Amino acid sequence: MLGAPTPVLSIGSGSAYANDRLAPAVAMADSGRVSVMGFDCLAERTMALAQIRRRQDPSAGQDERIGALVPLLRGYLSRGGKVVGNFGAANPDAAYEEFAARLRKVGLLGVRIGVIRGDDVHDLVTRLDCALPELGTTVGALGDRIVSANAYIGAAPIVDCLREDAQIVLGGRLADPSLFVGPICHELGWDLTDWDRVGHATMVGHLLECGVHSTGGNFEDPPYRLVPDPHNLGYPLADVDDGSVVVTKLPGTGGAVDELTMKTQLYYEIHDPARYLTPDVTADFTGVTIEDLGDNRVRLSGARGREWPSHLKVLVGVDQGWKAVGEMSYGGPGCADRARRAEEIVRARLDAFGSDIDDLRVDLQGVGSLFGDRLVGGEPTEVRLRLAVRTPNLEAARAAVHEVELLYFGPAGGGGATGSVVPALGVTPAYVPREQVRLETEVLET
Amino acid sequence: MKLREMAYSRSGDKGDVSNICVFVYDQADYPTLVEQLTADVVREHFGALVQGTVVRYELPNVHGLNFVLDRALGGGVSMTLRVDPHGKAFQSLILDIDLPGGRR
Repeated sequence: MLGAPTPVLSIGSGSAYANDRLAPAVAMADSGRVSVMGFDCLAERTMALAQIRRRQDPSAGQDERIGALVPLLRGYLSRGGKVVGNFGAANPDAAYEEFAARLRKVGLLGVRIGVIRGDDVHDLVTRLDCALPELGTTVGALGDRIVSANAYIGAAPIVDCLREDAQIVLGGRLADPSLFVGPICHELGWDLTDWDRVGHATMVGHLLECGVHSTGGNFEDPPYRLVPDPHNLGYPLADVDDGSVVVTKLPGTGGAVDELTMKTQLYYEIHDPARYLTPDVTADFTGVTIEDLGDNRVRLSGARGREWPSHLKVLVGVDQGWKAVGEMSYGGPGCADRARRAEEIVRARLDAFGSDIDDLRVDLQGVGSLFGDRLVGGEPTEVRLRLAVRTPNLEAARAAVHEVELLYFGPAGGGGATGSVVPALGVTPAYVPREQVRLETEVLET
Repeated sequence: MKLREMAYSRSGDKGDVSNICVFVYDQADYPTLVEQLTADVVREHFGALVQGTVVRYELPNVHGLNFVLDRALGGGVSMTLRVDPHGKAFQSLILDIDLPGGRR
């Protein structure tokens, strides 16, 4: 006798970072293969960049692709497909406004959009004078150099929005896997304190949140590892059931979903595999088994979970002034010696700024810029000098770039000067008791 | 033999912490990996690139090892002036390790 079929949710990846490709997301949406798509738009660096945009314009700070993306998702949304994303970045309400305006423009009216607010915990970390362990100081000690603080928030507010029939859910620093944990638990009816199931959903989220990292991106190493059509990598999708998941990608897309690509993604940016901390769960990936089914399909099972952490991680933004980078190339016999001579010149010229320069480094790309003295090769045929400076003094930052340009009149044969000066906003972790982070959700209709 | 002959890897970043996971192509090589690719061997190979501890976790279910390198990213992706702020290239540096005993 056949029982009721096991419920399966098909969920796809739509983005892995703030500037990811739109075409694979559109292919996923138009495939009819998934009913929910999760869009991860953030990382530590991109959250800092979003905060910088909001500082320059208080009505900005949301993901910059919304205007281009929404019209491309018209068909998917009109068929009822759901979207969950941290498009809010530093400004969830701005993301809502832009989504709503673009949806109206393409004639999609009556779309319910859930907005999640409250990941901005600037006031809280100030009141608690939170420790900043990686900097060895506290929020209070840095005073007005603290410009932002965003808590990693979990699946619960996403589920709240979906329960109110939101078709699109937008938030700020929603944790990457939570973008998938929310819809998985909602659609499959799992309780958010059912730790093993949340651990399983978190594994699925981790396999989807990084997009092509699961399908052959950041992977090839000829001749040892190659994937088909690396110019056309597909985003991953997952068929999730109670206890296992099959990860795959759309037919006709490049890359590979196999045992190798799944392993590298499963433990990517994980520290203790028995204790992967997210806002939703303490996930345990030590018992995961991976079964390559062939034809770009891999089944994974065995993820577990324990209670969620008592504290939420916060990314605290610290104003560090300006970052300047200047580069100049040297080639041919003695190129490294000429670049080192050039280094002496720029260091001497920037001495005038003294302690105004917080950090300065010079690297010779082609010699040891990535690994210092750890790998030693022969004489290079060309090197590119790179000067990088961090300083609160804009004049010093501009001078650094100018000095590299002036190396056209330094050692012989310097060519191809480039330079940039950008705001330096560092982000550093802090931790706050989870019950003190007050989240609110609102579901609005276009 | 170089680790690259027998294994593949990926590095990632969280704050000032880099993690590098390493998996053998052929599971018959896993005991060799566990025996020879110790935290000390990795620490020695990375030298001053890592200012803190190197902790190794075994992943026998997938024939891999995960190395967690503390204070290895010059303050982290948004703080450092390094060329490769994420330490994406660390996955390639680890594969250059010469396994002292070769394949067992």
